[in-house]
Amino acid sequence: MQQKQIMIVIIAEYYLNMNTIELQGISKSFEKHKAVDDLTLHVPKGSIYGFIGPNGSGKTTTIRMIMNILYPDSGSIKLFGTTYRGSRLDNIGYLPEERGLYKKMKVKELLSFHGQLKNGKNINNEIKYWLDKLDLQKWSNKKVETLSKGMSQKLQFIATIIDRPDLVILDEPFSGLDPVNADIIRSAVLELQENGTTVVFSTHDMNMAEKMCDFIFMIYKGKKVLDGTLSSIQDKYGNDTIKIQTEDGMSVLNNIEGIEKVTDFGRMQELKINENTDTQKILAAVMANTKVNKFEIAKPSLNDIFIRIAAPEKEEGNNA
Amino acid sequence: MRKIFILAKREYRTAVRTKSFIIGLVIAPVFFGGGLIAYFLLKDKVDTKDKIIAVLDRSGVIASALEEAANERNETYIFDSITEKKIKPAYIIKTVQPDLTDPNRQKLDLSRQVRDKNIHAFLEIGHDIIHPGDDPERSRIKYYSENSFVDDIKNWISWPVNNRIRQLRAVELNIDPQAVDDLLYWINIDGMGLISMDNKTGGLKDARESNPLESILIPYILMFLMFMMVMMAAVPLLSAVMEEKMERIAEVLLGSVTPFQFMMGKVLGGISVSLTGSSIYIIGGIITATQLGYEDVIPYNIIPWFLVYMVLNILMVGSVMAALGSACNDSKDAQSLQFPAMLPLILPMFFLLPVIKEPLGVLATSLSLIPPFTPLLMLVRQASPVSIPTWQPIAGLIGIVIFTVISVWAGGKIFRTGILMQGKKPKLSTLIKWAIKG
Repeated sequence: MQQKQIMIVIIAEYYLNMNTIELQGISKSFEKHKAVDDLTLHVPKGSIYGFIGPNGSGKTTTIRMIMNILYPDSGSIKLFGTTYRGSRLDNIGYLPEERGLYKKMKVKELLSFHGQLKNGKNINNEIKYWLDKLDLQKWSNKKVETLSKGMSQKLQFIATIIDRPDLVILDEPFSGLDPVNADIIRSAVLELQENGTTVVFSTHDMNMAEKMCDFIFMIYKGKKVLDGTLSSIQDKYGNDTIKIQTEDGMSVLNNIEGIEKVTDFGRMQELKINENTDTQKILAAVMANTKVNKFEIAKPSLNDIFIRIAAPEKEEGNNA
Repeated sequence: MRKIFILAKREYRTAVRTKSFIIGLVIAPVFFGGGLIAYFLLKDKVDTKDKIIAVLDRSGVIASALEEAANERNETYIFDSITEKKIKPAYIIKTVQPDLTDPNRQKLDLSRQVRDKNIHAFLEIGHDIIHPGDDPERSRIKYYSENSFVDDIKNWISWPVNNRIRQLRAVELNIDPQAVDDLLYWINIDGMGLISMDNKTGGLKDARESNPLESILIPYILMFLMFMMVMMAAVPLLSAVMEEKMERIAEVLLGSVTPFQFMMGKVLGGISVSLTGSSIYIIGGIITATQLGYEDVIPYNIIPWFLVYMVLNILMVGSVMAALGSACNDSKDAQSLQFPAMLPLILPMFFLLPVIKEPLGVLATSLSLIPPFTPLLMLVRQASPVSIPTWQPIAGLIGIVIFTVISVWAGGKIFRTGILMQGKKPKLSTLIKWAIKG
């Protein structure tokens, strides 16, 4: 009897801690171009997982493979612990990067159509709830073609999550949105997570990724280059960044020993220092020339890490 | 299947709610069948203005007979027997003395009179028509008018002219004039249908007189109705899919449905639209035919065949159109692919007349067994009054079912690859590669 209970607990634990997505060594090529190369990734249930990477690095291909729209050439994909090939799961919401809606349909009608496709429950209540939440209620009987771009994007978001799926995959959900609408979508995503939904989203907005994601995965040239929590990623790079604000700006920061790179933001500068450089020596060198208003030793930002990984290639490309 | 129905329902509702569908229902039959319908409706509504025909009778023995025949016709034939209203033009024969000095000048003058609408036509009767000699020119009868090839008066003139010629020849042979009438009495052959058993009474059903409605109009209408429905339901799928791909609606839907479900939803929506359209036409046609007293010619036995062929035809053409649409990147691509894709629909139209004329001929039989042509041409053959061997529609049906399955399968494979492919021109070799390898 006790053994049976233990088994039940083990099975329950397994399902509770199960990864929603498991990619095991997947690769995908288009003719000679290898879009995704031997990618392994586990997305835990209930997490928000950010996919970052430069344009053309393989994010959308990876997402399409998770969605079963494309099939990997090799490797395996498990969703909710099971391999599906060729079918669509109703409990996954997908918002592609380039998205369109039937313009001649009315807002409510369109959401109902998407809800029915997903076999959603209480669709009418959900439509009302989300239209209210995303401030589109008064447009519910208007045709989609009458909506502004921002409103259309919010509508597309609602169409994706109308059936409250267990997994939501959003490809660039914030692109083109003003800060107010981006914040509305962000809060909706967080609400979904609170209710147990696993969220995967790709973005070029590093600030949003830093703020929202439990885990961040970066793909570059089809290969995984980063995967983990923000702090674990930053830890790999150490405290090699100084944020500095001086009276004389950029001009006094040249030719100081130990500084590898200076990024000028106008009113402040970000310094990447060489390994094992004494930060106090740098502070002293700067103070010898000007008055220092701010001096902060920090971990590199996600944006900085992104640029460090992706920029060398571009520079080489520019020189070529 | 549930998702296919949801997609089909959306397609159907979107299509039938548009003004173009309603206008199309009215315009399309007028466009396709209007000419034929107008011909049958207006064939008796002729121009009743009197026609003057000048006769240059070089023989000197025919003009008077023509005048007599015209007068008799004008008295008995041109007025409606009940209303006494004039329903046909009177033919007025105007004898002109031949100008022996300058015959060509005289014919030129008469031609001018025809052009000026003073006379309708002129007839030149050769000198030796009773006894044709060595010179064929002297024994010819020539009818000059602006469009003599299709001029009914020319056909009418032949009878009294030849009648008089034969009468004169008989008189010369000393045959009794009474006997000449019997000799020249012409009997037309009435075309009849076949005799059948009346299922209600158990007796014999009289054969009906064969008429153009049964022989030509019904096969013609059924073929055009199907052509129209396929054009309405299947052909637009090419541009519709292309637009949904370019407007990025397709990828949004592909998050919820498979490419095959997406394609089949669109095709099924098209089938529903065409079933609605054809039902309206068929029911309307049955009511109209019944009201006009033509209930006997309604081909009830052909209607199920029509519907089955139409559904299969739309499945076959629609899946190919949707697949091609998925491979297109802009309207230019779509335009360049549309015409070749429509050829299997257009080609049978060229064979319509030979097939109607000889439904059992080798050409009609063999063409109607080629799967892409079967729905249109086999239907025409079945709708004609001639009985075709029972095995042929069944063989045709099997052929088209197999061909439709192949089309849907290949279309689905092309669609799956094409719908996500951007910026790649749809070449035939690429499409074949997608169909085979996926």
